[in-house]
Amino acid sequence: MIGPDAPFAGPVPRELAAYQDEPKQLATGSPGKNGYLRMGFERRGGKTVLADLERRAPLLVQQALYWDEGMPELPCVFMISNAGGVLQGDRNTVAIRLGPDASAHVTTQSATKIHEMDANHAAQRQEIVLEERAYLEYLPDQTIPHRHSRYRTDTRLVVHPTATLLYGEVLMAGRKYYRDGERYAYDVFSSRVAASRPEGRELFVEKFVIEPARSDVGLVGVMGEWDVFGNVLLLAPKEHVDAIAPQLPSGMDQSGGWAASASRLPNSAGLVFKVLGMEYEPVRDVIRRMWAVVRREIAGREVPKQFAWR
Amino acid sequence: MATAAIPTTTSMATATTITSSGGPDGAGVLDLLRLLQFGDSVLPVGAFSFSAGLESAVQQGVVRDPATLQGFVQAAVRQAATGDGIALLHAHRAAAAGDAAGVLKIDQAVFNRRLNEEMRTMTVRMGRKLAELCEHVRPGEGMREWLAAIKAAATPGTYPVAQAIAFAGLGLPERDAFAAHQYGVASMLVGAAVRLMRMNYLDAQAVLFAASAVAADDYAAAADTTLDDMATFAPVMEVLSGIHLRSTVRLFMS
Repeated sequence: MIGPDAPFAGPVPRELAAYQDEPKQLATGSPGKNGYLRMGFERRGGKTVLADLERRAPLLVQQALYWDEGMPELPCVFMISNAGGVLQGDRNTVAIRLGPDASAHVTTQSATKIHEMDANHAAQRQEIVLEERAYLEYLPDQTIPHRHSRYRTDTRLVVHPTATLLYGEVLMAGRKYYRDGERYAYDVFSSRVAASRPEGRELFVEKFVIEPARSDVGLVGVMGEWDVFGNVLLLAPKEHVDAIAPQLPSGMDQSGGWAASASRLPNSAGLVFKVLGMEYEPVRDVIRRMWAVVRREIAGREVPKQFAWR
Repeated sequence: MATAAIPTTTSMATATTITSSGGPDGAGVLDLLRLLQFGDSVLPVGAFSFSAGLESAVQQGVVRDPATLQGFVQAAVRQAATGDGIALLHAHRAAAAGDAAGVLKIDQAVFNRRLNEEMRTMTVRMGRKLAELCEHVRPGEGMREWLAAIKAAATPGTYPVAQAIAFAGLGLPERDAFAAHQYGVASMLVGAAVRLMRMNYLDAQAVLFAASAVAADDYAAAADTTLDDMATFAPVMEVLSGIHLRSTVRLFMS
């Protein structure tokens, strides 16, 4: 696992080369801007516990709660940021490990707001390790990049062939209804997810770089008219994926305000499910339908009804 | 493609050079012919069978006229430039330097970045066909080892890497390989479009002509990148391609 003091090393990616200047506020990656969260889940008898927790502001987890009526043994964790969002110069790290037979649900307390920036950029790196037969639902709320924000995430997934990872993210066009509306007004959104097996064999790499001022996001084929992009990766044993794939929503439903389809990943890693929407809610609902299929197939359990307040 | 290959403001007529003996200089003519042949959209590598999501874009009404086709092609060409195009340049350099292990590493990197099933099937089918074609046309000239590795399932055999090896083997520069790669993406889509929608051949050529306009800038941007810079962003295309996989009525392969 990435340690709390591991430096953000490695070459600067091309898309962030122009955003290296120091903010006049707190220095890049200084205390308060170097959040660290490490969570280790272990199976203990009939349930999974959050056995290892290390946290450093602005990232915060209080404790695992067992709120899921469909899977009462499932620890549910809210990742919280007490900074109220992501700011320029932030360098956050999240490391999650599930031991053999452990299961967990990890989400956020609210949408992740990436604030407007005029110096530097923000970065978050993540590492998720799933051991034998582990089961993780990683479904944070949507990410909202504000005007002129520059953000980079770098995620490493290490998944045992018998384990299941459901990893979903939703990216908004911006603060769509703020003032005159902010659609694709951010500078850079860069995301890289690399998955491998425990022995190191690479399964796939998905990197996308969005630079709206350099390359038109509204092009037919890129985002077109759509404002919300949901990207869900399912890494699971092949027999489960074979059963899940034909049950997933697929098509373009203009009146319902969503479009979605699944595609098998390279190296029999699982599948990727992509969803487009005009607003957040239909995308969330389609992802929820997918999540329900996955949980039913893998865990033999139901996803409970949507919370009224979330 | 022409924009990238010909210096600006130089017309074909003025580009003709006269040798010291007074006769016209034929150097480069063979290279141009090789480029025409290996960059040709009718090169039998299977591009004709694929629509890269366009069939479902037409069925869903996302692409419905020359303007929307233009946007779709432009988006595809951009993805090619920031994704496979970078790998192609690195593979060309590795092949030209005789670095067989480097070529295999790049091939695997391309394959592992093709999350879309239809596009993945397409790239390995076309890659293998191009390797077989080269081995047939110029036996023993650089493609044999790589084709053997594909047949032994030791490497996936992606199309941009096949193009890179072919162009390096012909002594054609990486710039030409990049141009042919970009042109191939646009010409495949335009070729599919005239079969999928009401579209006259003249409008189709105008779309293709316009798609090439950005190639010089795209090459300049791609030439100075690392393999890790490979990135794409075309969610609508990917969703459409996924819908195509599940579609029961279709003209093109998935």
